[in-house]
Amino acid sequence: MTQATQSDPNLLDRYQAYRTRRFLKHERRYGNALSGWRNQGRRRVLVIVLGVAFALMFAVGVVCAFGVTWAPLLWLPACFVFYPTWMALQIVSGRQGDAPEAALDEYEIQQRNSARSIGLTVTQNLMLLPIAYLIIGSVLTRGTDVSMAYAGGLMSLTVLLIGGCTPAMILGWSRADSDAEDG
Amino acid sequence: MSPVRRGETLPIHNRISVLRAERRMTRAELAALINVNPQTVGALERGDHYPSLDLAFRICDVFGLPVEAVFSRAAFTPLSAELYGRTTRTKGSEHDDAGNAV
Repeated sequence: MTQATQSDPNLLDRYQAYRTRRFLKHERRYGNALSGWRNQGRRRVLVIVLGVAFALMFAVGVVCAFGVTWAPLLWLPACFVFYPTWMALQIVSGRQGDAPEAALDEYEIQQRNSARSIGLTVTQNLMLLPIAYLIIGSVLTRGTDVSMAYAGGLMSLTVLLIGGCTPAMILGWSRADSDAEDG
Repeated sequence: MSPVRRGETLPIHNRISVLRAERRMTRAELAALINVNPQTVGALERGDHYPSLDLAFRICDVFGLPVEAVFSRAAFTPLSAELYGRTTRTKGSEHDDAGNAV
């Protein structure tokens, strides 16, 4: 958290201030967008759809590994599912997963940090799959299988997307709806 | 979040909901005064989140009360019972409702 200090702001402080201004600008623009989707039930639907998109992306990587020439085209429909769903989830969850600290209160920071910690663990563990595939595969094929490199790249990209989206997915899934009392 | 690295997390009870109701203040109004999300006020009232010292002071400033009047390690009894606790007098000594000497 950026603390109020007497010293002049350094480069990092200025960058964080810029991020906060940009975040608040986006929040003003999209703060009331998709109002019908700003409840836990709808957010969970978006998280499930994202999970399906990731499964599809990983499946494309696996199919590519078998050298199916038209398989990379299947990446496009996966992207068509992923991008709108991801943007919708970011809007309805208030981008809490990647918000700068100055834009959050202490409870939100605590929840975001927990979600990020889980996201990092998920990324590290899932990343072992494409790494193992590439290392073991390259040894077995002596690095001659072009499909393997392509498939490994798609699998790695999928895992990075999963890891990057996990904090927002966790927060979108777990954050309760506002009480009537919350006004 | 526990403020200590390991070991038991000690409870911090608070009277925020009672004090808010006394002043006919909504969570959103209190949240705006202490600059947090209304859901965070709900989390504080439910005991899902223990406030930092800074936030605790901000809350106490809104109600104009000292920290020990708003937060406590022990569960609070109703304010009315504390202010107007009925005592029964018996022969030779004074006892409250629970039979404890006063």
